[in-house]
Amino acid sequence: MAVNLLIVDDSGVMRSMIKKSVQMSGLQIGEIHQAANGREGLNALDQHWIDLVITDINMPVMTGEEMIGQMHDRPDLKSIPTIVVSTEGSQTRIERLKRKGLRFIHKPFSPEMLRDTVKDVLGSEVFYEPSA
Amino acid sequence: MNPALSRKLVEVTADTLEKMAFIFTFPAEDVAAMEGQIQEVVRVDFSGPFGGGMELSLPSSALAELAVNMLGTEDGEELSAEQQRDALKELINVVCGNVLPVVAGHVAEFNLRPPYMVSGESPIWDDPAAVGYLVLESGACRVRMRIDRSLAQELPGLDAADGPP
Repeated sequence: MAVNLLIVDDSGVMRSMIKKSVQMSGLQIGEIHQAANGREGLNALDQHWIDLVITDINMPVMTGEEMIGQMHDRPDLKSIPTIVVSTEGSQTRIERLKRKGLRFIHKPFSPEMLRDTVKDVLGSEVFYEPSA
Repeated sequence: MNPALSRKLVEVTADTLEKMAFIFTFPAEDVAAMEGQIQEVVRVDFSGPFGGGMELSLPSSALAELAVNMLGTEDGEELSAEQQRDALKELINVVCGNVLPVVAGHVAEFNLRPPYMVSGESPIWDDPAAVGYLVLESGACRVRMRIDRSLAQELPGLDAADGPP
């Protein structure tokens, strides 16, 4: 099964870093969609089938936390696995996100951290078998 | 100016440069290494229990290396000036996000605004709360922090983060 991804971050450089890390991870990737804020992220979710959302928190127009809140208000979006990749240092906010079932990765992150978290969230069956 | 805060600022900046861009640095005491260099200056403002901003000045000559290392581009692939500045903006964003819990504790919630390049019209920071310098292969960089209230002695994270002498 190929996984369709949505990467939401206002930094084009960070979107590229996440995209490259995911592509290196061995994940079976279908489509990769990108959005620069939560509003664009919700639009992308309305237009495409998405299996995994990777999002920042601090963004203009609509924050990642607001986007996640709206996703959880909608039956068609609330069960989409979501990983937050952020510089967020407030345990208060991180715990609030984790209580919603989200995973959290702190920036700066390594490609291995992202791969392992995606594997935890989606399972190893969506990764290519490592060659012997 | 708060020396403990300045040290933390330098530590976090050095750590972020190393982890995000594989750029290795060491602290510097003064600005001598920056003289004569054209600098790219980026800032990010934040709000929360207290407001303020963070600023990073990096030699223009280091921008390309920073962006290439962050993006992991193929050999010979050139990045645009906009991509290079976007890399610098993301760098200050990560530095700021990692400094705030060190100085304010892990309970406080802050909101970071989008980083921006400093131009001639940007306000001058006359009295930053912290300033530090780092030497890198292609020159030196300066990092500063502005806090919109005089609480340099009240920051809850600093004592604990500083540890025993």
